Amino acid sequence: MKKTLNINIGNSIIHIEEDAYEMLTIYLNEVKQHFAKSADDFEIVTDIENRIAEMFGEMLNNQQKQVINIQDVQSVIAQMGSVKDFESSEEDETEEYIAPPQFSVKKLYRDTDQAMIAGVCSGLAHYLDVESRLVRLIAIATIFLGGSGILAYVVLWIMIPRAVTKAEKMTMRGEEANLRGFANSYLQPLVHHSRGFIAEFLDVLGNFINGTGKVIFKIIAAGIIAFGGIAILSLIVILAALLGIWDSNIYQMFPLSIINQEYITVSVFAAFVVCVIPVLALVLFSIRVAFNSRPMNKSLSFGLLIIWLAGVAVTTFYVVKIGSEFKEGAEFTQVNDVKAFQTYTLNIDRTRFFTKEDSLRYSIDPGNYNGRRILTDLDHNFDAPRNIRLNIEKSENGKVSLSQYYKARGKTFEVALKNAQNIHYDFLQHDSLLTFSPMLQFAKTGNWRGQEVDLTLKVPVGTKLNISKDFSRYLDGYGYWDCNHDSNSEFTAWKMTDAGIKCEHEETENNGE
Amino acid sequence: MIAENTQTQMRKGILEYCVLLIISRGEIYASDIIAELKSARLLVVEGTLYPLLTRLKNNGLLSYNWVESTSGPPRKYYLLTEKGKSILGQLDSTWQELAYAINTSKKVADNETNDQINLNK
Repeated sequence: MKKTLNINIGNSIIHIEEDAYEMLTIYLNEVKQHFAKSADDFEIVTDIENRIAEMFGEMLNNQQKQVINIQDVQSVIAQMGSVKDFESSEEDETEEYIAPPQFSVKKLYRDTDQAMIAGVCSGLAHYLDVESRLVRLIAIATIFLGGSGILAYVVLWIMIPRAVTKAEKMTMRGEEANLRGFANSYLQPLVHHSRGFIAEFLDVLGNFINGTGKVIFKIIAAGIIAFGGIAILSLIVILAALLGIWDSNIYQMFPLSIINQEYITVSVFAAFVVCVIPVLALVLFSIRVAFNSRPMNKSLSFGLLIIWLAGVAVTTFYVVKIGSEFKEGAEFTQVNDVKAFQTYTLNIDRTRFFTKEDSLRYSIDPGNYNGRRILTDLDHNFDAPRNIRLNIEKSENGKVSLSQYYKARGKTFEVALKNAQNIHYDFLQHDSLLTFSPMLQFAKTGNWRGQEVDLTLKVPVGTKLNISKDFSRYLDGYGYWDCNHDSNSEFTAWKMTDAGIKCEHEETENNGE
Repeated sequence: MIAENTQTQMRKGILEYCVLLIISRGEIYASDIIAELKSARLLVVEGTLYPLLTRLKNNGLLSYNWVESTSGPPRKYYLLTEKGKSILGQLDSTWQELAYAINTSKKVADNETNDQINLNK
């Protein structure tokens, strides 16, 4: 389907297709320009126009059709001869004839062919004969000057006509609107809509998403590719680390200590597959979007999906299996008597308790580490989630005691109890100084099964307690920070009352009232 | 280039003469002139003819009549004026002279070559 125009040429009305019309217009303009130097130009051009009209009439008549198309125009031009042909037969005259400078009038149009939004910038670039990038850069810069650029853009959009026809496009670029230029641009398909501003705006919005949007998508895709690549690399490194390439003791670290030793390789690998394949798929998809490459090989993507599902299945299997080992809970209590003092100092022993493995790990001669102290960092203790809770309660019978509740979980009650018994916890009394270990340990190597120790220190009313800052981390709900008036001091003073322990400072204040 | 220039000049003068000759046979339409010229292998494109006809008409050698046409606009049918006829007569005699000049030149050239051939013999 093509748009047609009615033209009046040589006093006859001719239906002509639009592209044919453009070509004819350009031809006639050339002819007019050529004969402009002659005194009889009007007559000559009229003769030629009349003849063209006649030829069109014959064509329509002979071929039994309604409309002149571009081929007809081309054959007419061939018969009539181009301006070049005229020149060659008048060469003697052209010697004296000084060709007028081939200046062509440039006009400001919007170049929608190279548009980012509506072609205002590229149109301006053509008009000013500068790079469109430069104009765009300035336009973007003006947005930051109070947004005036956006307003200017919209105004220019409405004001400047769009270069629709080929002739307009050529004048926009400052090309001579002649037949040669026409032939060049004739190869490009002619797209023509004559639409309102709003319709065009919607059109442009669509194109923006399609064009500029694509650029943004590509940037996003490139970002995904970069981050995905890094993620895949990290996952590989993590996999290697988890498989114990660098540190075989990694399994005693908390999240891994859940997994039974005999499952670890398979389950870690399955988890790796589950994590890495979606990332890989995302990266591959982004590559496809970014580089417009062909879709991934079907069997490859299918294979990846199968591997991923297998990974999910294996991971689920182990999660359920290991989860079942948390089914039953068991706890037992051990009560130790503590020698009675009027005042106790409660502290956490930061000194690491060396196990046999530790001394091997740190290459310390077991017989020679007396006096050496390694301080653990309480803030960075990843060995297990918080598993020690301390309570201070009022003793009913006047005796001082420390109750230790060992808790653990297991597949059956027996296993759970065994896990609880495997807990090793250090508590030391040195006169009035009570020192607690910051962590629990396993007597035998074992997996984390929710092992916890609840410690309850029972002291009679009136006992004074100096609690260290470290110790207070393990205390729940005693408002340690409310009591701490001097943030530099390591200890705060408390006192056991009938209503539980109170900050001694507060206590004296209350008494004073 | 020189050859081309000379050719163009020769053709240009002869084209004018031929056009006048064709028109002298009677009232004729431009495209028929072209058809005749084409059969005489003298003209390539139509566009060249219109300026020529206009010039000849303005110089008073030709006049034309508008004739209604069945296909398209009315046509200009050209005919020779009295002045045109007399100029055509002048051109005829000029052509005779030119033809003589060329033939003579050619004959002399031919004789010379023949002489040279005879000498070589």
